[in-house]
Amino acid sequence: MRSIDIHAHIAPAVAANLSEGQEWHGFTRQERGGRQFLLRGDKRQWLHPKYLLTPEQRIAEMDSLGVDVHVLTTWVGLYNYDLPAEVGAATAKDCNDYVAELSRSYPERFSGMATLPMQDVNAAVAELDRAMNQLGLKGAQINDQVNGKTLDDPDFTPFWQSAEQMGALIFFHQQGDDTVVAPRDTKGYFIDNSIGNLADRAVTFATLVFGGVLDRFPDLKVCLAHGGGFAGFGAGRMDRGWQVRSEARALGAGLPSSYLSKVYYDCLTHSEAALRYVIDSAGIDRIFLGSDWPYDMGIDSPVEWVNSLESLTEDEKEAILWKNLERALGI
Amino acid sequence: MRSIDIHAHISPEAYIRAVEAGADWYGIAGDSHEFHRMVPRTMWTPEERLTDMDSLGVDVHVLSTNAVFYCYERDAATVGAMDRECNDYVSQLTKDYPDRFAGLANLPMQDVRAAAAELERAMTQLGLRGAMIGDHINGKTFDDPEFYPLWEVAEQTGALLLIHQGMETLVSPRLNRYHLPNSIGNLAERAVTFASFVFGGVMDKYPDLRICLSHGGGYTCFGAGRMDRGWQVRSEARANINQPPSAYLNRFYYDCLTHSEPALRMLIDSVGIDKVLFGTDWPFDMAIDWPVAWTLGLESLTQEEKEAILGKNLESLLGI
Repeated sequence: MRSIDIHAHIAPAVAANLSEGQEWHGFTRQERGGRQFLLRGDKRQWLHPKYLLTPEQRIAEMDSLGVDVHVLTTWVGLYNYDLPAEVGAATAKDCNDYVAELSRSYPERFSGMATLPMQDVNAAVAELDRAMNQLGLKGAQINDQVNGKTLDDPDFTPFWQSAEQMGALIFFHQQGDDTVVAPRDTKGYFIDNSIGNLADRAVTFATLVFGGVLDRFPDLKVCLAHGGGFAGFGAGRMDRGWQVRSEARALGAGLPSSYLSKVYYDCLTHSEAALRYVIDSAGIDRIFLGSDWPYDMGIDSPVEWVNSLESLTEDEKEAILWKNLERALGI
Repeated sequence: MRSIDIHAHISPEAYIRAVEAGADWYGIAGDSHEFHRMVPRTMWTPEERLTDMDSLGVDVHVLSTNAVFYCYERDAATVGAMDRECNDYVSQLTKDYPDRFAGLANLPMQDVRAAAAELERAMTQLGLRGAMIGDHINGKTFDDPEFYPLWEVAEQTGALLLIHQGMETLVSPRLNRYHLPNSIGNLAERAVTFASFVFGGVMDKYPDLRICLSHGGGYTCFGAGRMDRGWQVRSEARANINQPPSAYLNRFYYDCLTHSEPALRMLIDSVGIDKVLFGTDWPFDMAIDWPVAWTLGLESLTQEEKEAILGKNLESLLGI
C-alpha cells in the first residue's frame, strides 16, 4: 500500500545551507543557542534542523515512517508576502526550482508545490504558470491571508481563474503566529497555533464560499490543511448565518455546508473523532494524508496512526493514505 | 416535560422607555437602539415574551441582560450603577413570574471587586442564579489572576457563569463580511475562553467553579485534540496544568446551540450528556427557531438525552 503526504515542508538548500557572511536575497543565517535562524531586516525565523537534512537523509526518515511520497511545500517562513514583490518573486523562484529539482531527481519519493509572491497577483499567476507548465509542480501552498486581505478579495480573481485553468491544487496553510487567535494568546499557551490554525482555516473556507469563489470557479482544487480546521464542525452556524443574513447570501449561491464536499482536507486533526467528523461531513474522497513533517505539531507516525483508527474501514484508510492524492494529483 | 432555556436575553424596560423618549440611559443610546430596532422581540414586554415562550413550548427563560449592556470599556462606576438596575429588573421579573423566569446578573467586569460584590448581591439578595460575562475583558482573558476574586465569589455562592461574546469577536479584525465575526467568531471565542480557563490553571484552582460555554462551547470539543497535542509538545502549554486539556471538557457546561445535529452529538459524546443545557439565544435571528421541536426531532438522541437537555440538567444544576 502506498502513502502520499500532502503536508510536508522543506526549505531550499540555498537558504538552509547559507554559510557565515553569505546572503540570499537579503537573508542571512545565524546560530543562537544551538538553533539556526534566518534573518532579514527585523525578521528572525527559526530554521527547523530537519531543513538541513540532505534529500537522502530525508528519504531515510520517510522510510522509517513508512511514507512513500512527500508532496513538498516550501516552509511558510518563506512566504515573504511582506517583502517587496520583486524580492518575493525571486525567493519563490529559487524555492520552486529547488522543489522541482528534487521531484525530478527522486520522482518516486517527491512531488512538489510552489510558493508564490501573492502580494503581486500578476507575478503570482506568472510563477504558478511556470511551476505548473515548466517545473511539473502540482499546485501551490498559500497563506489564509495576504497582508491582511482574505482570498475572496476581487484582486485575487485572476489568481483563481489561472489556478482553475491550470488544474493547480491550492493548499491553504497559515504562517506562524499570525492567526486570528494570536491577539488573545496573551500568556503564550500556544493557542495561537492549536486553536488559531483551525479558526483560520474555517475563515478561509468561509471566504471562498460566502465570497462566491467556489461558485465562479467550480473546477478549482482547494485543500485546507489541518483537517480544514473548524470548517466542517462549524458549518451549521455558517448555514444559519447564510439563512438569516442577506449580507451572507450576497455572493455565495448555496448553503455553506453544501460546499464541504467541494474542497479537500488533510487528516491532521489529532483526534479520531474529529477526523471521522470531517469524513462524514465532506466525504471520504476528499481527505488526504497530511502529517506536517517535520514539526512537533505533526503526526508522529502518520501511516501507523491512520492504520490504527478503529472507526475507519480499510477502504477509507487506503483512500486517505494514497488513493485520493494519486487521483487528485496524478502521481 | 419542562423546558428551561439558559440562553435567553432581555433588555431592561427602563432602557427601552428612555431611548424611545429620546433620552440616554446611563450614557447608552444611538447604536444600541438601532440594534434593538432590528430585532423587535428585544423590545417586547414580559407578557409578550411569555406568549412567545408559550408558542415555542418553552417553560422557563433564565434571563440574561443583552450583551450590548456589558459596556466593559466604559467608566466602571456608571456601568456598575446600570448593572444594578439591570439585575434588579431581572430579579423583579423572576419574583413576578417565578414559574417562568429565573435570572443571571450583568457585572461591571472592568472593576473586578465591584463585579464580585454585585455577583454576591445578585446571588444572596436578588435570588439570581449566576451571571453572563464576555469571553475577555477589554482584551484581558480569564486566566489573569486579576479575576481570582470573582471566581472565589462564584464558587462560594454556587453561581453559574454563562460565557457569551460581546459585539466584536476575534474574527472582526480579519474581515467584517458575510456575518463571519458572529458565525465563526463566536465559536472561536468560546474555544479560546475554554483554553484560558484550562491552560491558565483556573479550573484546578477553583474545582467547584460552574461555567457554561454558550453556543455549544463553540469549537472547544472539536478542537480539543489539537489542544492536547499542543499541551504534549510545548512546555509553555503545560506551565499550569498536569492533565491534557481534553480532561477538562466535562468540567464545563455547554448549551445546545450548535445549529447542527452532528455537532451536538459530538459535543454530547465528548463532554457527557449531563453537561449539555438547553439554550436558544432568544430573541435573535441566530437563535434556534423552534428549539423544543428541534431538540425533540433529533434522531441521534435518545428520549432520555432529550429530557436531560431540555430541562432535567438545568433543574438539578440551578434548583429550579
